[in-house]
Amino acid sequence: MRKPRFSRFHFNLSIVVASAAWLFAAAAPAVAQRAPWERMEAAAKLLDVAAPKTDAIRLDLPAVTQDGSAVPLTVTIDHPMTADHYIESLHLFASGNPSPEVAEFSFSPLAGEARLSTRIRLDGTQNVIALARTNRGEWLAGAREVRVTVSGCLTQAGAFDGDDFMRTRVRAPNRLRRGEAAEIRTLINHPMETGLRKDADGQAVPERILTEFRARVAGQPVIHAKFHRAVAANPYLLFHVAPGQAGTLDLEWTEDTGKTATATAEIPAA
Amino acid sequence: MKKFSLSRREALKRMGAVGVGAFLAAGGLPVYGNRSHGGQRVAVIGGGFGGATAAKYLKRLSPGLDVVLVEPQKRYYTCPFTNLYLGGMREFETLGHDYRELSRLGVRIVSQTAVDVDAEGRRLRLADGDSLSWDRLILSPGIDFRWGELEGYGREAADKAPHAWKPGPQSRLLRRQLLEMPDGGTFVLVAPDNPFRCPPGPYERVSMVAHYFKTHKPRSKVLLLDAKDNFSKQGLFLEGWKENYGDMIEWVGRSNDGRVVRVNADKLEVETEFGEIHRANVLNVVPPQKAGFIADRAGVTDESGWVPVQPRTFESKQVPGIYVIGDATQAAPMPKSGFVANTQAKVTARAILADLAGEEPPEPTWTNTCYSVIAPDWGITVAGVYEVHDGELREVPGSGGVSPMGAAADFRKREAAYAEAWYAAIAQDTWGSR
Repeated sequence: MRKPRFSRFHFNLSIVVASAAWLFAAAAPAVAQRAPWERMEAAAKLLDVAAPKTDAIRLDLPAVTQDGSAVPLTVTIDHPMTADHYIESLHLFASGNPSPEVAEFSFSPLAGEARLSTRIRLDGTQNVIALARTNRGEWLAGAREVRVTVSGCLTQAGAFDGDDFMRTRVRAPNRLRRGEAAEIRTLINHPMETGLRKDADGQAVPERILTEFRARVAGQPVIHAKFHRAVAANPYLLFHVAPGQAGTLDLEWTEDTGKTATATAEIPAA
Repeated sequence: MKKFSLSRREALKRMGAVGVGAFLAAGGLPVYGNRSHGGQRVAVIGGGFGGATAAKYLKRLSPGLDVVLVEPQKRYYTCPFTNLYLGGMREFETLGHDYRELSRLGVRIVSQTAVDVDAEGRRLRLADGDSLSWDRLILSPGIDFRWGELEGYGREAADKAPHAWKPGPQSRLLRRQLLEMPDGGTFVLVAPDNPFRCPPGPYERVSMVAHYFKTHKPRSKVLLLDAKDNFSKQGLFLEGWKENYGDMIEWVGRSNDGRVVRVNADKLEVETEFGEIHRANVLNVVPPQKAGFIADRAGVTDESGWVPVQPRTFESKQVPGIYVIGDATQAAPMPKSGFVANTQAKVTARAILADLAGEEPPEPTWTNTCYSVIAPDWGITVAGVYEVHDGELREVPGSGGVSPMGAAADFRKREAAYAEAWYAAIAQDTWGSR
């Protein structure tokens, strides 16, 4: 920790810099740095308001990651999830990927919390962007830069265990305290072939991905996800079910071929 | 703001050092860039691959410079080849190196723990309360563990389920547990997510444990529970395991529920993310890590727990005058390896001498080689060359690579011999012993 040292010279200099910045901004406002979601067409198209709220979405990602093939991401939206005011949709983008769409999620108030974790593919250093819309039509936005390096000791795996194709796993809490949302973890074995990879003979491996995921509790929708190819192989999703929603949780994944896989779990009463 | 005053003893020592430095420089010994750095002091904290190399090369390049190495251990044991000790291929003592060569070169060795750094006052404090001033500081503090981040795995748990990720009593404990384990038992290794010290380490370790089992306890099993889906030299390890150990080693990646979320060291049980319980006879937990604690004290770590550095010199991005090298840094794509720490030390020594002389640092390149021994006659490698490009570290395109897949037995055997030669060479370069 260094002690700040202000001299008269520095003070004067900072005024000069500030004035210059002001002049520049006034003279050429269009050149000023725009937010990441304004600079990306796919995200900008969604926003039908000029200024989304920017202080409610938190993106937890490593600032530097050695492996872009499965970068852990947690999105937390500071917003109520009540029947009359809740986060209705969440859109994730990766600005520097060959196609920027990562995933879209629709929530019902039964999700309890507007928070989820997954793992995504990032093709190099770039911004990860989240846009969320409430049921009243308000937009929220957040972004975070991730630096992706490939470690000198890491090699691409490319190996996928075909025996476990579309094997599903789910974990719900064994018990819950009164008023506690249930944290649900899900995982399905799937290579999420991007269509960009070449096999050992140099032939392009065709795109084959899971496109949808749905979760219902006692028959009522909780979350519905649309996946793109930037969702990492073996899609992982952590989400929540609102307090007091005991019952059977039904999960269903759908592949682009139409093939589906299912899983169930019991959510205990508090 | 931490401040502490110059002790009388310290002041005398320092005056002495200045005098000797000036005398040596005047005596016509070779000095860096035709300049003497006499009277200026570089302190180095940590006597491993990074710190010992930095101290040695600073002194060799600029004999007039006052170089002080602060390292509490009189004898330093290396992480590389600890796995060979666990597999019964090496005696533990062969991993130990002392600082006699550095002393002989004129590096002052202070056998104490540095407990605090005052960046503003350019001083560091030692465990005995004494303090030491510096003009430039190099931290090569290695790693510390994030105790408790993995539920159930705190310091006490390591007495039952060792990490053995810092050489010493933990390595001996794990070796003893393997020796005492009955044939037919299960060894479980819990591997962390990136980043961590020695990316191929967990995979070499299970190889060496399997080698010990194959020769002494052939009905035993090795289970590697991993928080990752990809790992270093993955194809080569999987191939080597199959060829040498059949199906003795089972690796479970994150997507097959390999990520451990809870440890019960008393019962030697671990629980995975999706609720599976695995029971071990010998449980080896490699916990999540961060930069060694003195980096925190110096204010050079960021929220990740690691140290961001200027790519060209490895000077801290947060605190000018403090340089950080080795496992504690965010230097990806360079891995956290002993070899990388050794080359970072040389680059940083040159950068510091240039800085003290008011010159631009030279344009750097770094190298890495990591050998892994899968069996006594089966070695594999990864190598890379690194540079600064557009202000960021990167691997030089087309440099380096890994051993080929499907290579002949004599190729693997030669690489195992090269691994031994690699160890002798780097230990000789760093400590002057092999």
